[in-house]
Amino acid sequence: MAVFKRGYQRYAGPRTSNLTRFLAVPRFVWPKLLAERFVIILLVNSLFWPMLCAGFIYVSNHAELLPSLGSGGDDGIRKMLTIDGKFFAIFMNVQSTFAIILAAIAGPGLIAPDLANNALPLYFARPLSRWTYIGARMMVLFGLLSLVTLLPGLIVFGMQASLASSAWLAANWTLGQGMVLGFLLYIFMVSLIALTCSAYVKWRVVAGALVLGFFFVLAGASKIINQVFRVEWGSLLNPGYAIYTVWCALLGVETAEDAPGAWECFTVLLVMLGALLAVLLRKLRPVEVVS
Amino acid sequence: MNQIWIIAKLEIRRAFFSRRALWVYLLALFPAVLFFGHGVNVQYQRSEYAGKPVTPAAILDRIPTGAAESDVLAAAGQPITDRQWKRRDTQRRSLQYYDGSNRVWLEFENGALKSTRRRTLNSFEEDSKVYAGVFQFFYLRLAIFFGCLGIFINLFRGEMIDKSLHYWFLAPVRREILLLGKYCAGLIASAAIFGGGALLSFGALLAYQSSADLQSYLQSDALSHGTWYFLSAVLGCVGYGSVFLAAGLLLRNPIIPALVMLLWESINGFLPDLLQKLSVLHYLQSLCPVAPPLDPSVPPLARMILAPAAPTSAWAAITGLLAVTALVLYVASRTARRLEINYGTE
Repeated sequence: MAVFKRGYQRYAGPRTSNLTRFLAVPRFVWPKLLAERFVIILLVNSLFWPMLCAGFIYVSNHAELLPSLGSGGDDGIRKMLTIDGKFFAIFMNVQSTFAIILAAIAGPGLIAPDLANNALPLYFARPLSRWTYIGARMMVLFGLLSLVTLLPGLIVFGMQASLASSAWLAANWTLGQGMVLGFLLYIFMVSLIALTCSAYVKWRVVAGALVLGFFFVLAGASKIINQVFRVEWGSLLNPGYAIYTVWCALLGVETAEDAPGAWECFTVLLVMLGALLAVLLRKLRPVEVVS
Repeated sequence: MNQIWIIAKLEIRRAFFSRRALWVYLLALFPAVLFFGHGVNVQYQRSEYAGKPVTPAAILDRIPTGAAESDVLAAAGQPITDRQWKRRDTQRRSLQYYDGSNRVWLEFENGALKSTRRRTLNSFEEDSKVYAGVFQFFYLRLAIFFGCLGIFINLFRGEMIDKSLHYWFLAPVRREILLLGKYCAGLIASAAIFGGGALLSFGALLAYQSSADLQSYLQSDALSHGTWYFLSAVLGCVGYGSVFLAAGLLLRNPIIPALVMLLWESINGFLPDLLQKLSVLHYLQSLCPVAPPLDPSVPPLARMILAPAAPTSAWAAITGLLAVTALVLYVASRTARRLEINYGTE
């Protein structure tokens, strides 16, 4: 017998906790991402630079092993072997490249398929808000990008802290703090860019190209603005440059005098992130028009 | 041939007028907009500095580094602008003068002259080098690269994602012809957009030059330079287009080869001569008429390693690019013949 009229009532059974719901998406996506060959290749490659840095830290803390530094030694080499803010700024800069590539590979598959296959109503029919959905998707990238940024960074910092004297840690704990804050901001930025690109174009392939284009084309565009107008403010348009300047400020590293300062870069980054979030929220509307 | 043209005509409309094409137009026209903006800025500065007091260049040249502020002011007179600020316990002052064609900034630290910066209101020689840099570092490496990625990947992979490729395959036409038709459509669109963009930005560069500079340039190299820039842009579309069309056919995720190619092209200048010649960019750069200045932001260590290979002769570069394109299209056509559609995996 056909049922023409049916009444619905709210589900009154037990609910899972907010945290369980929030972690449901990453729980399913992480194993899928880690099964991708290219992601594994990238993760392995991203470990080479931290290993080199760890070797450098070992050498810098055992300077007496170098014959030229044994007695008195060469000040130039000693200065070069110093572990300071500049060292961590370079470390972060190199690792950030891997994070961009990883985001371009992993990010587009997070939202685009849901939009392309009209799957959003399936998510939002459950007790899941837009913010939770975005947060859960971002959590996927946060976990993945932490493996190439935060985690190696903390290991490198921890290694330096354990090899150097306690006086070094007392004087330089701000480097660790700056690195963590800098990487957190960076991961948030890259994740938001990847998610917005994924939501904006709906196609995985094009979204991946857009993530790469966002970083590379904006970097190129900022350079040619500087070249054509003979100015320095064009660098503000380059998210890579802007975040590097903020890192330098967090790590106490001096930047070029005539280039835009850390606060200017931070403001531009906030505006950029705000714009990306607005686009993302506009694209993620839990409605379906049935015609 | 007729079939190729019919397919191309159908595809060209999509390549030119789709919503995604807007980004390609933006990439192609960005340098032209910048040079146009710079032209407006130069015109504005010319009119602004026409009424400013002129300090003879000989007086400014005679001021030695380390001179005191008061001595400089006594010798050169009142500056056009006078800016003072304090940074890291150092009192700084910047005085700007104008010598009739150059703007000169005298930078002081704690009352003593630290450095002198000179900038011409507009120098055609400098601008043409900037254009060469913009063309080679932005237009060829990024704009044409990403533009072709968008246009050519869309031709096959886009149809697979849209689940509409089987309509083409049901038509009574050989797959090779379909591939060539689609490639021609992408090539015509990208060549028109990026070739046009290159000419437009070149025109914008010439538009604001002084009449003397413009006249002498038009009588000497303007036509040949413009032609070579246009040809480089078009050949960029030919080379990158074929690679991305094949990538769209051969791989489910063409972003990975695109990424590898982008990285390969980016590190091109650091590679040995032989490896440099295994890139599209090397041949395109060989066709460019003016060598770009080295990026000042490149670290000194990287500058030492940077060793661009000797440019290939124009005809060898063109022939090489066309031969590689033909080879890539041949491989793509073989793949297209065996292609089986499985939309479920997209």
